[in-house]
Amino acid sequence: MDEIQQAIKEQVEAHPVILFMKGTPQFPQCGFSMRASQALAGVGVEFAYVNVLEDERIRQGVKEFGNWPTIPQLYVGGELVGGCDIILEMYESGELETLVKEAAAKQDG
Amino acid sequence: MNEQRVRMIRERMHDALAVQQLEVVDESHLHAGHAGARDGRGHFRVLVVSDAFADKSPLQRHRLIYEAMGDAMETDIHALTIQAMTPQEYQQASSG
Repeated sequence: MDEIQQAIKEQVEAHPVILFMKGTPQFPQCGFSMRASQALAGVGVEFAYVNVLEDERIRQGVKEFGNWPTIPQLYVGGELVGGCDIILEMYESGELETLVKEAAAKQDG
Repeated sequence: MNEQRVRMIRERMHDALAVQQLEVVDESHLHAGHAGARDGRGHFRVLVVSDAFADKSPLQRHRLIYEAMGDAMETDIHALTIQAMTPQEYQQASSG
């Protein structure tokens, strides 16, 4: 596994809820990243994020890591949950809240 | 350019999945000028109805669609907004 893949793996394992996005939750640089981070913020659990625009190697690397061709990508408990559509779908149904709260509680406990 | 892309998306969906219903909408104009649009790739929305999605999670359904799109996700498509439904789900959604 190369250095970038290793770095992404470490990030994903270190944070129970982590969003790879374009820009930041405060200043998102893409509508899809904006909606994804707003849904997470709406759930009311702290989440980590990586601004992929700061490092082209991460931007490409995370696509390979998740075997997922687009950004944003949400990882919970080390597993890829999905991109913007799936995050929003799960937010609407309440599944997102359950999933991230369980993951956050595991981290605390 | 994007008309060709819409055709290509339709073809790839039909080739890979037993599609019963398919809508492909070019939404590139909604994103004109933003960072992702500058590389010239397009934004599209798809509604795909197929039995292939039965017993599959949203993640697995999206993967099937991304796999069907193949290299086009690199070369032609910046973003694909996906609705993936089984025929039963589609029927419920349209009658509800």
